[in-house]
Amino acid sequence: MRTKLRFEFKLSVFLIFFTLSLQSMQAQNSEITGTVTTTEGKPIPFVNVILKGTSTGTSADMDGNYAISAPADGTLVFSYIGYATREIAINGQTEINVNLAEDLAALDEVVVVGYGTQQKKDLTSAVSVVDSEQISKRQTTTVAESLQGLASGVNVRGGGQPGQEARIEIRGLKNLQGSNPLYVIDGLVTTANRDFNPNDIESIQILKDAAAAAIYGSRAANGVIIITTKKGKQGPLKVTVSSKMSITDIPRYDLASQEEFVRLNNMAYDNGGVPRQELDLSVNTDWQEEVFRTGLIQDQNVSFSGGGENSSYFISGNYFGNKGTVISTDFDRISFRVNSSGEKGIFSIGENLALSNAKTDEIGGSDGFRGNPFFDVVRLFPTIPVYDEDNPGGYGYGKSGVANVFAANPVALANLIDQESENFRIRGNVWAEIDPFPWLNYRFNFGYETSFDEYLYLRREGNWTLNQPYEPSFTNQNRAQSETILFENTLTFKKEFGKHNLSLLVGTTYQKNKYEQINGLKRNLLINPNTGEYFDVLDLGDQAQVGGFRNESLLLSYLGRLEYNFDDRYLLNAVLRRDGSSRFSDANKWSNFPSVSLGWRLSNESFFNSETISDLKLRASYGELGSGNIGNYEYQGFINTFGAIVLGDGQTLYPSATQVRLANSELRWETLKQTNIGFDMGLLDNKLQLTGDYFIAKTEDVLFGFPILLSTGNDGGNPISNAATVENRGFELSASYTEQVNDDFNFNASVNFTRLRNELVSLGNGLNESIQGNTITKSGEPVGMWYVLQTDGLFQSQEEINNYTNSEGDVIQPNALPGDIRFKDVNDDGQITNADKTVVSSPWPDFEMGFNASAEYKNFDFSMNWIGSFGAEIYNGFRSVVDRFDDDSNYRAGIQPWTPENPNTDFPRIVRGTTLNSRGDSDRWLEDGSFIRLKYVGIGYNIPESAIKSIGFDKARISLSAQNIITITDYQGLDPEFSNPNIFQRGVDFGSYPNVQNYSLGVEIGF
Amino acid sequence: MMKKIVLITAMIGIFLSFSSCNEEELNLDNPNALTTDQFWVTPNDAELGLNSIYAMFYKDGLWSRWLYFRLDLTSDEGFSQSPWVELADWTRFNYINYNFWEGNAVTWRDSYKAIFRANQVLAYVPDIEFSDSNRKQQILAEAKFLRALHYYYAGLLWENIPMVLEPSTPSDLPQQVSQEEVFAQVEQDLNEAFADLPLQWDAQNTGRPTKGAAKAMLAKVYMQQRRWEEAKTALDFLVVGEGANYSLVDNYKDNFTDLNENNAESVFEIQFGDQRRGGTDEGPNAAVSSTRAQFFAPRGIGWSDGQARFWLVDAFKQESTVDGEIDPRLQHSLFYPSLFEDFGDKTYGRDWEWGEDEAWFRKGARDYKRDNEDYYSEVNWRMIRYADILLRYAEVLNELGMTADAYQYVDMVRARANMAPLAEAYPEIGNNADAFLDRLKIERVLELSGESVRWEDLKRWGDLESQETVDEIAQRDPDFNNFEVGKNIRLPIPQVEVENNPNLEQNPQY
Repeated sequence: MRTKLRFEFKLSVFLIFFTLSLQSMQAQNSEITGTVTTTEGKPIPFVNVILKGTSTGTSADMDGNYAISAPADGTLVFSYIGYATREIAINGQTEINVNLAEDLAALDEVVVVGYGTQQKKDLTSAVSVVDSEQISKRQTTTVAESLQGLASGVNVRGGGQPGQEARIEIRGLKNLQGSNPLYVIDGLVTTANRDFNPNDIESIQILKDAAAAAIYGSRAANGVIIITTKKGKQGPLKVTVSSKMSITDIPRYDLASQEEFVRLNNMAYDNGGVPRQELDLSVNTDWQEEVFRTGLIQDQNVSFSGGGENSSYFISGNYFGNKGTVISTDFDRISFRVNSSGEKGIFSIGENLALSNAKTDEIGGSDGFRGNPFFDVVRLFPTIPVYDEDNPGGYGYGKSGVANVFAANPVALANLIDQESENFRIRGNVWAEIDPFPWLNYRFNFGYETSFDEYLYLRREGNWTLNQPYEPSFTNQNRAQSETILFENTLTFKKEFGKHNLSLLVGTTYQKNKYEQINGLKRNLLINPNTGEYFDVLDLGDQAQVGGFRNESLLLSYLGRLEYNFDDRYLLNAVLRRDGSSRFSDANKWSNFPSVSLGWRLSNESFFNSETISDLKLRASYGELGSGNIGNYEYQGFINTFGAIVLGDGQTLYPSATQVRLANSELRWETLKQTNIGFDMGLLDNKLQLTGDYFIAKTEDVLFGFPILLSTGNDGGNPISNAATVENRGFELSASYTEQVNDDFNFNASVNFTRLRNELVSLGNGLNESIQGNTITKSGEPVGMWYVLQTDGLFQSQEEINNYTNSEGDVIQPNALPGDIRFKDVNDDGQITNADKTVVSSPWPDFEMGFNASAEYKNFDFSMNWIGSFGAEIYNGFRSVVDRFDDDSNYRAGIQPWTPENPNTDFPRIVRGTTLNSRGDSDRWLEDGSFIRLKYVGIGYNIPESAIKSIGFDKARISLSAQNIITITDYQGLDPEFSNPNIFQRGVDFGSYPNVQNYSLGVEIGF
Repeated sequence: MMKKIVLITAMIGIFLSFSSCNEEELNLDNPNALTTDQFWVTPNDAELGLNSIYAMFYKDGLWSRWLYFRLDLTSDEGFSQSPWVELADWTRFNYINYNFWEGNAVTWRDSYKAIFRANQVLAYVPDIEFSDSNRKQQILAEAKFLRALHYYYAGLLWENIPMVLEPSTPSDLPQQVSQEEVFAQVEQDLNEAFADLPLQWDAQNTGRPTKGAAKAMLAKVYMQQRRWEEAKTALDFLVVGEGANYSLVDNYKDNFTDLNENNAESVFEIQFGDQRRGGTDEGPNAAVSSTRAQFFAPRGIGWSDGQARFWLVDAFKQESTVDGEIDPRLQHSLFYPSLFEDFGDKTYGRDWEWGEDEAWFRKGARDYKRDNEDYYSEVNWRMIRYADILLRYAEVLNELGMTADAYQYVDMVRARANMAPLAEAYPEIGNNADAFLDRLKIERVLELSGESVRWEDLKRWGDLESQETVDEIAQRDPDFNNFEVGKNIRLPIPQVEVENNPNLEQNPQY
């Protein structure tokens, strides 16, 4: 209620203000006319013409003619996208004809930097701008995925599951809670998740260093991605229709045939002295064929845009459908957007509104890695049938003595389980601005986002794995709503005093988030006798369970920014933000986040005189950012009231309650301190542009729930504490070369390079190290280094085993047999134990690169994008399953295990039932994860205007493209480009959904 | 000019009015749960907190599941052929990864979870005002009993463990103590609990510990330390003293089904139910059940991760009843190949389809009413029953040189199974205490196999302390070929605990 009142109050204040300001000042003006043309004399339509230092302006018409009323001593500014902006003093003229040079380098590009814009040339901090055209070419579900390889310092890892959201990391892993950057879409702090339509993007800016991101204070530690959606441009209605269809395919494992499987399986049993199982040789199932399929993605988009002199609109609709490459996986999205704005006098107002409905269907997972199709297809034997009448539910799976395996049948999972989630989202903002004076702007922004989420899980009766206990049918459903309300007020002063250019911004923001869920479960569902299907409503069935919860958080902020520019030579930018969050205790709620950055445009100095270097700027910045990326109530301890006990002769239930999870009352903000040094250089008339940055980003008081002692009796998650200090140092370089060879041909090539060194400086809580799975995180080393036993070849003879001793002469592996793996006895204690584990390698790449090239020849265009990652070590989960042999699975085709007859191999003896050679904690499963991948390649053809004008089209384009079709790597798993959400085990590829290969055909028509 | 001033003033005014955000709003309460400060206020809070300690019996690290792997399968009574090799390795002394959750860490963690809960009650309840001060004393006594119970088993398994007696905080680094010191704390808690526990609870409260249960636990902890005099005193209470209100039920099977729970033989019994179908975690609807039967049921019926050694079947067939029949306890102890032939019972309704030398644990199985198992067994677990007490009494008397007196208690147990008095069946034993103990070891197996007492028995008898006796056990259970004397008598402490707690050392030789 309070919020609503405030909003109404704000509106009423506006109206008063609006009326006041309508009577703005007038001066002695005369009418000026002219034509805007290219340097070749061709008219440029719709060029913006503005009287400098005012908001007065107009646009040229279709033929480049304009008319504006302006004082005789004024200056006109002519600007248009793709052309260099020109300023011309009127000096009493009434006709001014101008020509604008094409601006391939786009140095004057305007960059959105949060609560305002800057010209790219004035930037003093590290900001990457991504070309939206590059993004729209690709077939991706989320924005993050489409940024891959396009900007330095930005690491993206996608996955091929329909609706899967890519992981994005800007300048390394700076904290331990999650690497997602802050997304700001049209001024609304939100997430650019899968229900955002990437086709609506006009521009993307990535704020990488602390000075750039500081204006977003406590939420900006992971960097900020600012997305501006498309706006209408002045002119008649423009309609653009585009359609893209893609066929997708998944890489497949090269698995043993039935015959090879049987031979190897029998060998492992024989070697283990275990009686062979009675494999059913009459069955020969290709599980990959049963579970994987060719997928189909379609992306249908239509947009309407246009505008008058003082208003513009943009409307778009999109359908995105992805039929997955694994059975029973799908993603569908319908989205709709309306952006509009208008202005009158000193007052302008606008809104951006997006509605979307997204739905995913997942293959029903069960427990652990059982239920992951990428493991089940390799664990299930070729001798197991897909269907088996004898099993409850009718699906084939392991059978004791016949097929000793506990893998789940994915076909059974797909049919017995429905798992769907759907959400309807409304996201938008309304803004209003008043410019009472040319040097003063007041902006009010109200943002609102809400999502209505639905989840359905239906489990039918039937089994999918060996020895599965009976479970009745049940359905588990939830309904949830999330809501974000944002109020922002900013005041901007902007004034030139001779060579001094000053801009000052102050503002406040208020953001409230809420998430509410109710859920219910019922078992023993009824079956509808007509359809044979279960009733999946919560009315039917028994053993009802209900639950629900609500999470709220609030962030209040004050912000200020000073920009100062002297003579386009010396640039200063200072930011201060003060944030208060409900997530911390009273003593720790508020924190300040300052930053300062400096730039020096050397090329504007009088002493600077270079033929080749056309532009040169040096930059340096320092800033502090925060992160409070933790649960809403982490600093308090709570009582868990879920438990119950049985007591009494009647075996009656009584409730119980106690503290289960411990809490740290002294939690405080995590602080990122980042220093950045960089340069921007333009060479050869800015055809070649170089940008380089070196940064040191140190995160202190990293919020993380490191495992605490089990002897505390803590359960339900480790309590969050300010636990560690993490540092990232890195170097980024990007270079791009653009050349207009002649009227018919131009090309562009760019390369970006990122080198990053992550280091855990210290662990808090008195911990020295944190071991998670096969990784160790300890001070002085990057997070999550591989910490395993080292293998040292195979024993070829009993003699070698007997001779393998420590310095005392103790035989280290007395139980080994020829063909077994020799492990290094690192601590020389004469046995192989956990104490022999050492840090062997890093899951972090040494460097990553992106290479982009594009060319246009007449009506044809071509572009491609390569990404490369070098030096990371990956844990191949697939091999750790199929090469182990102590437990049954299918195997890789063509392996050559050690036998006395075949000793020249690196594959150890295969033995059922002993983990000697198969232990998961050795370097046997680590592989070089370096790769180079052709992420995107495409050609397009624009049908000549002459051919389509007659049917009323402005533009018609056909394109063919492919994604992920070439990968150069030694990695033996499905895909070296994967993401593991566990920060400490980032290099573990354990059933990750591989990126799909994708072939697309696209058609775009504009009229 | 005037207009401009008005405008600027208006703008600044508006701006300031927007800026004055209400900072009070930042104090958001969690709408989902009570904070710890809001709890531990009323007597009902004390009851709920106490109940949460009982709820620990339902957790998988303890008496719902994995503890049976440590106590039954690691002993020579059981073993594992689980295809989950690591799980099986942890029942045969192949301890490689000391952090293995199911084999080690979860039981450690859950033991301390229970202790944390007891510590909360013991720290916060004294400050709560009760109108019924007797109830307050009982609550504290119950908490002490339960803390002692969990420390007893932790001390039995790992021996040298950290001692935590206050509510935990995240940065705690508790000090390790020896098994002796652990047991001293157990004794103290049990003695204090004994004072305030009742002899008997009313029908609504069956399942809470009685004075007898406290004395029984005391007897266990004294016996483990071979402090026979004190053990005798404790057992006197149950057998001949003030608390001697127990008797053996007529039907041996009644100790293992849900049909005659909390009967006259039950000294302490974990109350399991099937009312809630959740997991063993702390989520809504957390289960109150045992999952043992699902994990021990034969292949094709349950997970079959644990089964009985076949020598048990032979042991039962060594001696017939006075009527010349097979020891009837075999029927209710094991599923084995000739079960149908011997007693007319099928295995979960099936003919024998498993190995000819295989046997499965039957105690706690629900084959008497269903042909499968699940995660929600409601059959109470008789942790301490009177037959165990009688045999312990006999053992203690024998150790104290009162072998002749000991006979009668063994005979009480034998009589129910229709076995002849011991002196009649084995006259050669006479007053030879060693021979009596040897016989008693077998009597305990016949009566108590699969009831999670074998591991403490083997430790107490010293059978795990010499290579000779271990070799002898390995005859029955080849897993003991892996057993290293001086090392495997206790579990390794989870490695993460050792690494993160400077006050804790790994157990010897690990």
